[in-house]
Amino acid sequence: MLKLNQIHKAFGSMKAVDGLTLEILEGEVFGLLGPNGAGKTTTVNIAVGLLAADEGTVEIGDGHSPLDAASRALIGVAPQALALYEELTGRENLAFFGRLQGLGGGALKSRVTSALDFVDLGDRAGDLVKKYSGGMKRRLNLACALIHDPPLILLDEPTAGVDPQSRNALYENIKALRAEGRTIIYTTHYMEEAQKLCDRVGIIDVGRLLALDSVEGLIDSHGGASALVVDGGDGEERIETDDPVAELTGLKSAGRLKSFRLDRPDLEQVFLNLTGRKLRD
Amino acid sequence: MRRIAALACKDLRLLQRDRVGFFFVFFFPLIYSVFFGAIFSGAGGGGMGAMKIALVDEDESDASQQFGRLLEESTEFDVTRSRRAEATDMVRRGDRSAYVVLPQGFQESVDRIFQAESIRIAIGVDPGRKAESAMIRGLLTQYAFRTLQDTLTDRLSMRRQAQSARARIEADDEIDPVTKTLLVRFMTEIDFLMAGLPGNEPAGVKNADGSGGDLAGLDGWNPVDIEVESVLKERIHPRSSYEITMPQAFVWLLLGCSAAFAVSLVMERTRGTLIRLKSAPITLAHILAGKALACFLATLGGLAVLFAIFRLAFSVRPDSYPLLLLALISAAVAFVGIMMLISVMGKTEASVGGIGWAFLLLMAMTGGGMIPLMFMPGWMKTVSDFSFVKWSVLAVEGAVWRGFSLAEMLAPCGILIGIGLVSFLVGVRVFKATAD
Repeated sequence: MLKLNQIHKAFGSMKAVDGLTLEILEGEVFGLLGPNGAGKTTTVNIAVGLLAADEGTVEIGDGHSPLDAASRALIGVAPQALALYEELTGRENLAFFGRLQGLGGGALKSRVTSALDFVDLGDRAGDLVKKYSGGMKRRLNLACALIHDPPLILLDEPTAGVDPQSRNALYENIKALRAEGRTIIYTTHYMEEAQKLCDRVGIIDVGRLLALDSVEGLIDSHGGASALVVDGGDGEERIETDDPVAELTGLKSAGRLKSFRLDRPDLEQVFLNLTGRKLRD
Repeated sequence: MRRIAALACKDLRLLQRDRVGFFFVFFFPLIYSVFFGAIFSGAGGGGMGAMKIALVDEDESDASQQFGRLLEESTEFDVTRSRRAEATDMVRRGDRSAYVVLPQGFQESVDRIFQAESIRIAIGVDPGRKAESAMIRGLLTQYAFRTLQDTLTDRLSMRRQAQSARARIEADDEIDPVTKTLLVRFMTEIDFLMAGLPGNEPAGVKNADGSGGDLAGLDGWNPVDIEVESVLKERIHPRSSYEITMPQAFVWLLLGCSAAFAVSLVMERTRGTLIRLKSAPITLAHILAGKALACFLATLGGLAVLFAIFRLAFSVRPDSYPLLLLALISAAVAFVGIMMLISVMGKTEASVGGIGWAFLLLMAMTGGGMIPLMFMPGWMKTVSDFSFVKWSVLAVEGAVWRGFSLAEMLAPCGILIGIGLVSFLVGVRVFKATAD
């Protein structure tokens, strides 16, 4: 669906993307993770044609460049910032962005209605956006990306700053989109979210792709060993082991086991293992 | 084009929904100009009082003097007596709206009313002043009727007319003898009748208000023959203070619109909507064209509304509507360009708003947006040449009261369009370079 081949992009002397190659498959939810300043936003902006690469090629669909205005109709973008006009109603926002996509008349009306229904905003469609809650704005932001029924959708931090109910509703929306066979590029800082929603995840840092696989594959290859957290009566002790059964048997026979739990590595562990624990401000 | 129209419509709707912005863009200029118009009233021109005319009495007869007195005593006219050449100059300079000539033979034409002759009057007026011309003709006809009525109710005048008519009939050899005898006898009897009446009493029954009774049967007969002479006016003064403040109102609206749209363009960036616009299948040129179109339409629409208000409420009347349209379009083009330039003067709404308004106010101060150009000292007028506001004011004034010809309008309008295009191109270039 989308191929990035040897992409380079620099802003002045700072390399934002450094020889990144990536293929996003049709119908998958692809998570792009990375610490602040890793080059995620630059990468996705290049991927959807908002930015031109200094070097390398991007192909969308049957080999079109996203820089070509017409091929951008294949992409729906829900930016991290709420790209909405607060002084317009939800319906007016959708109609406006629909017109920019070339829709008009009955087709536009019908798309607006179905997009509003999809994000469950039909009953508030006539209200000014400035009166919406944060979660409603996020949902409308998603609806605006879907107004022209694109096969490829970029969701940049779609759940930032929303309450659990709205987040859950957005998860359901994303699952529904995946079920419809759409390709989704998903960026987030919430590892749990990526683990729950993404078919494959790419982790980038300093403009380079560090790892790319399914969530399980990443955990297996970069998550490190599982850990036993054991309480023998004098506090908890963390023991990393590849064979927890043998370890537990030994502890029990030594009389040093009152309780235990098994900590399996997760995506966050993978992320930290790959990108380090140093703060990125 | 549909997409550009969609972008423009969106911006116009946003402007309309922003009540504070809408007030400052559209109502502040009006309040400003009405306020200063009221302060300056009396400094500019004559307002809506009596119409100033010059009266040229070439006949210097009883009848012409009587007619002249009628006009002088009227409330509709402010009459200055002069010779024809002076009167023409006064009209040309705009000191008088028109001149009225009572030509030689005026008395004779009044005396020959019974011979179906009309009272002859000439007026001189700028051909562009069709409404004024019609108004003067109507009023003169009204006063001529009054003269005629006075004549018919004047016993001596009636006898003079009857005797004059009898003498003409007697001298005319082409009338057959029987008719001649009858007509001579008829005129003699009228003369005899008038001689027998006491004093100068009315010859007939008047209406309750004391006017017009004898003339009730004269419908369809026009006793006045008014010849209109063209006098091209050299306008160098505004007619009223509102002709001075209207261009300033236009300027404030232009300033408000360009600042508002410049800030709205920055908001597209800062609020993230530019990302979504750029992700649509349109180019950056479409986005900027949509913004420019919205700014142009809002500006032109606002100017049209303001002009309508000044036209209806303050009777501001341009010398030339086509030239005014040219001036407004040129000014709108200039300020669309300035809007684009201002939008790249900063990165945030606050910085663009601050820098933009500082720049615009400087231009307004030096360009006649605050102090009218005509009241500026010489050195300031020179400085004002560097302000696009000055050229906007001058273009509008040229069409409204300076009496500019098309050739004279080309300079300010050309400069405005040039400023607009250069500013727009510079703004677009910087915007493109920084849009990523």
